[in-house]
Amino acid sequence: MIQSIAKSPTSSGVDSPLVTRHSSLAPLVEFREVSKWYGPVIGVNEVSFELGAGITGLLGANGAGKTTLIKLLAGQLRPSLGEVSVCGVRAWSAAAKSHVGYCPDVDAFYEEMSGRAFVRTMARLHGFDRRAAQERTEAALAEVGMLDRADRRLRGYSKGMRQRIKLAQALVHDPDIIVVDEPLNGIDPVGRRELMELFRSLTSRGKTLLVSSHILDEMDTLADRVLFMGRGRLLASGTLKEIRDMLDNYPLHVRINSDRARDLASRIVHWELVRGVEVRGTDELWLQVHRPSEFFPRFTNLVVDEGFEIERLQTTDASAGAIFDYVMKEAAHF
Amino acid sequence: MAIELLGYRGWRGDLRSPWMACWPIVRSGLSLVLRRKIFWVLLALGLLNFLFTFAIIYIKAQLAVENPGFAKFLDSVKVTGTGEAYLDFMFAQGTVTMLLLAFAGSQLIGSDYHQGGLSFYLSRRMERRHYVSAKLLAIEAIVLLITTVPALVLYVEYGLLSNSLDYFRENPRILFGILGYGLIMAVVLSLLLAAIASWVPRAVPLVMTWSCIFILLPIVGEHMRNIRDNRIWRLLSLWRDLRTLGKWCFGSLNLERDEDRLAYWAAWIVPAVCLICLIVLVRKVRAVEVVR
Repeated sequence: MIQSIAKSPTSSGVDSPLVTRHSSLAPLVEFREVSKWYGPVIGVNEVSFELGAGITGLLGANGAGKTTLIKLLAGQLRPSLGEVSVCGVRAWSAAAKSHVGYCPDVDAFYEEMSGRAFVRTMARLHGFDRRAAQERTEAALAEVGMLDRADRRLRGYSKGMRQRIKLAQALVHDPDIIVVDEPLNGIDPVGRRELMELFRSLTSRGKTLLVSSHILDEMDTLADRVLFMGRGRLLASGTLKEIRDMLDNYPLHVRINSDRARDLASRIVHWELVRGVEVRGTDELWLQVHRPSEFFPRFTNLVVDEGFEIERLQTTDASAGAIFDYVMKEAAHF
Repeated sequence: MAIELLGYRGWRGDLRSPWMACWPIVRSGLSLVLRRKIFWVLLALGLLNFLFTFAIIYIKAQLAVENPGFAKFLDSVKVTGTGEAYLDFMFAQGTVTMLLLAFAGSQLIGSDYHQGGLSFYLSRRMERRHYVSAKLLAIEAIVLLITTVPALVLYVEYGLLSNSLDYFRENPRILFGILGYGLIMAVVLSLLLAAIASWVPRAVPLVMTWSCIFILLPIVGEHMRNIRDNRIWRLLSLWRDLRTLGKWCFGSLNLERDEDRLAYWAAWIVPAVCLICLIVLVRKVRAVEVVR
């Protein structure tokens, strides 16, 4: 199991057990054994995955290869080996770029331009004629909530406003796939919440989002599935729940508060799914469980049948941050 | 706000060719240069030279018939309507352009590399060759607007103010010279600036590198010519090489003169410099720098 988490897909094309496919929908983005190196430095190493609808989080430490992967997808880099395809065409072709909107992490604008002029210029670069560029600019600015502030010069914008303008230029050509690199960096909590709501509204319209972030806590609520990267490799892929279920070496920690904690402990201590039980005080129980997807239904049945009153049921290491730590520990073995 | 509530409809139409993206980049580049007050000084210098020459042509046309002596006096400021006169005018305008490009290069090209703006361009529906072509066109537009367009205006003015329109028929080589010299300057300066700015994107190092090429190298070449007594060292001056090619365009090469005999060498060196610059530029158009 450990090996299956840390191993990238083999050259025979067999997927890692952690890679899950979205049913029925053809992948919008496909990476097939992609490697990219810069001289002696390898940026991405034999990465294979598919992106479908919804929000996918791209998580990893600095230098893990996230930006390289994003730029391969956005068609700004060509892979040294393997193939990157977007909607069935090679990612670095102009046709593929029609489907991708890229919001980079860099904050580089022509500072003397207004936000509106900048987005309109990006629309013209994309191939819209003057009238269409104007219409699309207004639509994109409305979507990111910058219509009333778009005539100010970019140099006078706050960090959050600059981020919105970057998003607007990524949305101006109505792409199917939106790639966002570190969108929440430097944004205040209110701004983050607004951006996350914007991302969700985009996916509700059928867009596919790939969001790269260091802020793991927010990936818990934002991302439908995640890709963990480390040292250029894809370490794990799937929903957080799926990945957590597979981390057998790291049983899930569950905290339970019940008035009959000791009774409850005595009933479940012999279960094969329960690796450890610790009673703290009179009403608190700490469990370590394997295969949570099997444990919880069985636990629920027990609670209902025996009439236990559960005041609190909390998993303490099922967050993106905790899973990321476990995955990185496993990856260190290889 | 949900986009559906605002009544925006999806766009249904044909996107233009990626080559059409060149025009917004050229326009943005021109506005970047024209917007900065610091560049107005240099632009004013070029404009002054043009207006002075324009006025001299007009005055000469008005007074030449009544006062031939005065007309001869005006000829001493080299407003003669010959190829040499236009060559000298474009050379002076080109010098102003060269100064302008030294300072504008970091704005036009360097900032794309230094601050990461290249990602925005390459994320559009365009490829490297479109981006490179557009940036070169932006620089060429500046060069042509300062050198070739004013020279063409002066050519038309001289012809219209001459005794008859035979001036145009009798001097077709001048038109070829203006366009040819302007094109050579535009292409060479654009490639050189784009290549240098991609390697040294910041303003001060860019100006210093530019100065080395156009000031230091000619001085070194001149000293080496005196030391070795070999005129071939003059070829180190790229600006002089461009002028020699310009002379060829105007048909005013005089192979009995020392510097004009280097024209054949200049005709090889200038394209070689352009090729090297193009290779450097294409290699540098990458979105991610190699991790050091």
